[in-house]
Amino acid sequence: MKDKVVIAISGGVDSSVAALLLKEQGHEVVGITMCLGVAAEEGGHTKCCGPREIEDARRVCQMLEIPHYVMDFSGDLEEYIVKPFIEEYERGRTPNPCVACNRYIKFGTLLDKVAALGFDFIATGHYAKIEGMGGRSILARSREARKDQTYFLHAIKRETLGRIRFPLADLMKEEVRQIARKHRLPVSDKQESQDICFIPDEGYGAFLRSRSIDVKPGEFVDKKGNILGKHRGFALYTMGQRARLGGWSGDPLYVLGIDARKNRVVIGGKADLMAPGLVAERVNLLVDDLTERCVAKIRYAHRGAACRVTLDGGLLRVVFDEPQEAITPGQYVVLYDGGIVLGGGIIREVLN
Amino acid sequence: MSAIYLDYAATTPVDPGVVEAMLPYFRDTFGNPSSIHSFGQQARSAVEDAREKLASFLGAKPAEIIFTSGGTESNNFAIKGIAGANRKKGNHIIASAIEHHAVMEPCHFLEREGFEVTFLPVDAQGLVDAHDVAKAMTGRTVLVSIMHANNEIGTLQPVTEIGKITRERGVCFHTDAVQTFGHMPFTVDELNVDLLSLSAHKLYGPKGVGALYIRQGTRLEPHMHGGEQEGKRRASTHNVPGIVGLAKAVELAEKVMAEEEIRITALRNRMIRGIFDRIDRVRLNGHPAKRLANNVNISIDYCEGEAMILSLDLMGIACSTGSACSSTSVEPSHVLRAIGLSVEETRGSLRFSLGRDTQEQEIDRVLEVLPRIVKRLRAMSPAYRSSATGKGTGG
Repeated sequence: MKDKVVIAISGGVDSSVAALLLKEQGHEVVGITMCLGVAAEEGGHTKCCGPREIEDARRVCQMLEIPHYVMDFSGDLEEYIVKPFIEEYERGRTPNPCVACNRYIKFGTLLDKVAALGFDFIATGHYAKIEGMGGRSILARSREARKDQTYFLHAIKRETLGRIRFPLADLMKEEVRQIARKHRLPVSDKQESQDICFIPDEGYGAFLRSRSIDVKPGEFVDKKGNILGKHRGFALYTMGQRARLGGWSGDPLYVLGIDARKNRVVIGGKADLMAPGLVAERVNLLVDDLTERCVAKIRYAHRGAACRVTLDGGLLRVVFDEPQEAITPGQYVVLYDGGIVLGGGIIREVLN
Repeated sequence: MSAIYLDYAATTPVDPGVVEAMLPYFRDTFGNPSSIHSFGQQARSAVEDAREKLASFLGAKPAEIIFTSGGTESNNFAIKGIAGANRKKGNHIIASAIEHHAVMEPCHFLEREGFEVTFLPVDAQGLVDAHDVAKAMTGRTVLVSIMHANNEIGTLQPVTEIGKITRERGVCFHTDAVQTFGHMPFTVDELNVDLLSLSAHKLYGPKGVGALYIRQGTRLEPHMHGGEQEGKRRASTHNVPGIVGLAKAVELAEKVMAEEEIRITALRNRMIRGIFDRIDRVRLNGHPAKRLANNVNISIDYCEGEAMILSLDLMGIACSTGSACSSTSVEPSHVLRAIGLSVEETRGSLRFSLGRDTQEQEIDRVLEVLPRIVKRLRAMSPAYRSSATGKGTGG
């Protein structure tokens, strides 16, 4: 069946191959590159959304003979992503802007614009899968387990699932690269972008300072509040990170917590990083009912751990079978039942 | 129906007659005009013929025409050239707030070099007030640069009147005439200008060639240093086919200009009337009468220009908008801002620019398609749905 599909094409290999697959399947395809207004000055780094990337996306669409447009999302990025990101940092939390970007921009405002253009579906180069189940769409892990991006996608609104296509759902990354090479796409050997698109190469500190956030040195303290040394600014630390302390020769120290109000970073030994569970807020469900027993991921790189969950008054309580390391407020917890994504929420507190 | 092109203000297709005229200068008469031998002489002769053609069209002397690579270079040359030659005399420049980027940016460049630039405001129709020019002048003013017609909203400026003032005060006057040259009749003396920029590709000529008129006696700092071409003011091997193409485009324009202006004005008015009849909450940007014959610039409430332009393109209709995301920036149009539109309003703007190949049925096709697109986009717009159902403003 021929559908009208917009592919969100970034200029990278994944979305380029996704566009190619849609075209090969015979759909009516239009490529749209989101201009986020974060382009670096000349000679700067290349990241997704920079001028170089937009050119690459355009070249790919020309090769595939599909129309290509650049649409402006700079205002949305600022409102939905950057501002909340800064607020979270100021509260001493470690936010994950890619989750919000998928919810509010890619599968939010972009999807609205796609519909306004008269298109039925949006496709992206994410490694994830949409499956039909009992007449409803569900989000599931991709075949390529190592690249699976459902963690970043769990917060999209459930009602949008039926309008989403993930052409890479059943492909391995290496297969994607092979397809790109076989069709001589100019992006086949490009490096993957790992960083957050609006953070400059100079890092978080430079970004926060450019937004007039005071990043000033403060104190490292232990759990009891004893001062152990000086840190460079609490916003530059995240839970579980190694803390370097001048003259320290004992066991390695890790960040256990951040007290934004006092500009203090709590540090301690690895054992102190372990916690039995968490409470999450702003919960997004992608299924009708949560199963009590499931697997939770507490960050993208986390393998996932068996747990029991309860949902009460909009708060999600997760208790792990085994204590987990560095559960981080501000990050997302995402729940899985086998390959199916149940939903998730933003970690509000860590249980003791 | 084949694709409909309504973006002639961006560029025009090269007239077949122009292509024909250029062809011999790629392979047969390919010499370098600066060479002494017969090959060079023939090419030189073509360049000088072109210069005479252009000069006579503008009511100028051949020696007052300098060939350039186009409008942007001509503007850069004029502004930086005058500034450079008058450093001792003064450091003040006057321009309008709605100049093309090719004037704005050289001005900003000079600001960084220590010049002061006054950007004159315009009224709601985009008109510069000649009195404002007089008032802004100081003893240190070395250049006034006001465009002949605005490329976005089409407003024609009172260039003749401003030129009278600059002449009385002995200040050099430049106009960017890229949008009017070859589209409406004028001479440099009628406009009272000392410098005038023009380009071939807005006139059914090739891209990459243009000219700067420099009134005799006007001193400019040379802007390309190298050989002795163009009286040492603009070194670089002549773009002979391009220059020949420019002259041919002028020759063709001379023939059809008068009737085309009438024909295109009628089509433009049909389009504006049609839009106002079919779409509510729409506004015409620019001056209703003092405007380019081919320009239709409108703002449609509750519709993003970006979405409209994409929808139109997918339907085979090409036009442009006041704030599109190019590769790097998403600046709302400084022109629309200057005539008082909010950032939101600039987002809902569309520019159609008509040309020699535009036919009535193409305009009618737009009038059929655009209201449908607007209806669909508005149906998706929460702001429109929640707005009062009031009727159009000025429709």
